Amino acid sequence: MSISKFFRTIFLVDLFQGLWVTFRNQDPKRIYTEQYPAERPKVAERYRGAPRLNINPDNGETLCIACNLCALACPEDLIVVGSERNEETRRKELTTFTYDTSRCMFCGLCEDACPVDALELTQDFELASYTREGAIWDRQMLEEGPRPTPYKC
Amino acid sequence: MADEHKPDGPAPPPPAGGEAGTPPAKPAAPSAKAPLPKPPAVMAVTPWESDITQLLKERFDGQIPEFSTYLGQNFLVAAPEALVPVLETLKLELDFDYLVDITAVDYPKRPERFDVVYILYSFARNERVRVKIRIPDGYRPATAVTVHLTANWLEREVFDMFGIQFEGHPDMRRILLPEEWQGHPLRKDYSILKQDQAWVRENLSIESGQ
Amino acid sequence: MPEATYLDANELVINMGPQHPSTHGVLRVILKLDGEKVIGTECVIGYLHRGVEKIGENRTYQQFAPYVDRMDYVAAVSNGLGYCLAVEKLLNIEAPPRAQAVRVILTELNRIASHLLWLGTHALDIGAITPVFYCFREREEVLKIFENYCGARLTTHAFRIGGLQYETYEGFEEQTRKFCDWFIPKVDEYERLLTNNRIWVGRLKNVGVLTADECKEYGVTGPVLRAAGVKWDLRKAQPYSGYEQYEFEIPIGENGDTYDRYTVRMEEMRQAVRIIRQAVDRLPAGPIMGKVPKVIKPAVGEVYVSIEAPKGELGYFVVSDNSTQPYRVRVRPPSFINLQALDRMVRGGLVADVVAIIGTLDIVLGEVDR
Repeated sequence: MSISKFFRTIFLVDLFQGLWVTFRNQDPKRIYTEQYPAERPKVAERYRGAPRLNINPDNGETLCIACNLCALACPEDLIVVGSERNEETRRKELTTFTYDTSRCMFCGLCEDACPVDALELTQDFELASYTREGAIWDRQMLEEGPRPTPYKC
Repeated sequence: MADEHKPDGPAPPPPAGGEAGTPPAKPAAPSAKAPLPKPPAVMAVTPWESDITQLLKERFDGQIPEFSTYLGQNFLVAAPEALVPVLETLKLELDFDYLVDITAVDYPKRPERFDVVYILYSFARNERVRVKIRIPDGYRPATAVTVHLTANWLEREVFDMFGIQFEGHPDMRRILLPEEWQGHPLRKDYSILKQDQAWVRENLSIESGQ
Repeated sequence: MPEATYLDANELVINMGPQHPSTHGVLRVILKLDGEKVIGTECVIGYLHRGVEKIGENRTYQQFAPYVDRMDYVAAVSNGLGYCLAVEKLLNIEAPPRAQAVRVILTELNRIASHLLWLGTHALDIGAITPVFYCFREREEVLKIFENYCGARLTTHAFRIGGLQYETYEGFEEQTRKFCDWFIPKVDEYERLLTNNRIWVGRLKNVGVLTADECKEYGVTGPVLRAAGVKWDLRKAQPYSGYEQYEFEIPIGENGDTYDRYTVRMEEMRQAVRIIRQAVDRLPAGPIMGKVPKVIKPAVGEVYVSIEAPKGELGYFVVSDNSTQPYRVRVRPPSFINLQALDRMVRGGLVADVVAIIGTLDIVLGEVDR
């Protein structure tokens, strides 16, 4: 073994090199932890989170035309769209819309399938509920969004 | 939750707003009036000729009824008894030394119900070839473990999923499912919602479906 | 495992059970030991079997795409790429050049993310607790890019059959370039932590040797095969999705031991950054979706397409019967086949080596069991 290698082994040079990397990362400027729930992460615009049924801002009506394409696109068959035919305008009108978030895998196929951008997956990721039935969302919950109870941390 | 399941019956219509009568697998025809030809009901294969087929034809006269190619991928259909000799010849003389995969396909309406597929690759030639054998239910093909060691777990998985036992395998038991499971899930008569109720009740102490 | 109806006085059968911090998932390994030396092993798998292949027969081609992400959940983008390439081959269509370039960028980012997770957890199993934090910090940046692009970090569902669904977002190229510049010094940092560290070298050198011939016998592919000295990579041998345009090296090792697999994967991360830089510089303009029919009903036939996933050769054997649902989807899982070689690799080693070898094979149980 050459002299320099001998000294490197005796004086634990390789171990100190590793320790130097670790100590350098203790610098408070390099702290990477996000203090959730005090600071919420900023999620991307395209994030596939909680579903929402959009409402036309002008007249307050739902944008959904009850075409059932989202239900057909869903791999898990968890959307049930109820509609009735309006005799005056001779179009289908949405009555009930059920979405089962407990089986949803947030793949986004329903959002891609919707032709009028009524069904959208928002940036909301806090979807916990206390009961299994609470995870099945009806039309009202879809339009307003989940209202998690804020707890003081 | 199970009530909301729509029945897994006929294939659902197109997800992206198509109208009825969209021609399958063809771009929009200029005039939808003329009836378009239906695609073939069997695989549209073309015959395959190369030095590999020459050697195999000489060696296994009559035991390899078909050498074909589909979409640029070559395959041959061998008689089930000739399987291990064919694999050996491919490995020792034609450099197909890497067994990529063993799998099976179930065609319940055919008398030869299963199609066991062996995919082989040659490092030297940079080529892939598939060897298929058509076997009826209950037939036990010879194991390929003597030729390629990879075949050990791959054949166990084929047995587990399809029930095809391989003759001469050192350890023929289920690999992915529990040992006492009844039934072979990837067969077409095993519905997707079915489970081995007895096993679930005994071992998980819940009623199935939860 | 050798059959024995009774144990020799020195032998001991120990269960390294499905719940174990070092088995990278729910893997059960039954070890037959002579003191500390391992005489035989038996892997029991299937704890994460979800029947993905059966599901594939009951969903349409587009609907099945989110399910394949969940097999190798660590590197979900490659699974999606393999599946989309297989169905595109069945339909005889090709994605446009821009879609192919973006696919390459995302797949290579995904390779970096997978190797980072491998490095972190492997080092953690060996006992080096620090790298896992740094690796996850870097992985976080890659997942941010995925989230900005397709909306999900882990189960991305990034690609569609025929191309891409989403156009790249504003700032995609800039963020990717910044990531590449930021990341290369980090790889050097990991090397400084581990490569010459005598404990690391002592734990990994000459452990779990698998020679090139044994690799070919067992069908082992990916970095394990390359560490044994075989210069083979599906991106060079049978290029797909435009890989022939990019210049990159294939790192190989010499001895086929665990240390070589470590160096091969570190170098692969560097080469992945090289590919990303080239792809981002040359990103062509154009459409992102090819000519896909409205109803995907491929002609009757079967096709086998495989890609170089971070773990090995990931293949899809898709059989179609001219209906909207595939007749059979078979996934050739690299982790399942690499795990078979575990028995050969641990012979003569110690129990601690079993942990190192399971880590070095880079298995993900989601893929082993599907």
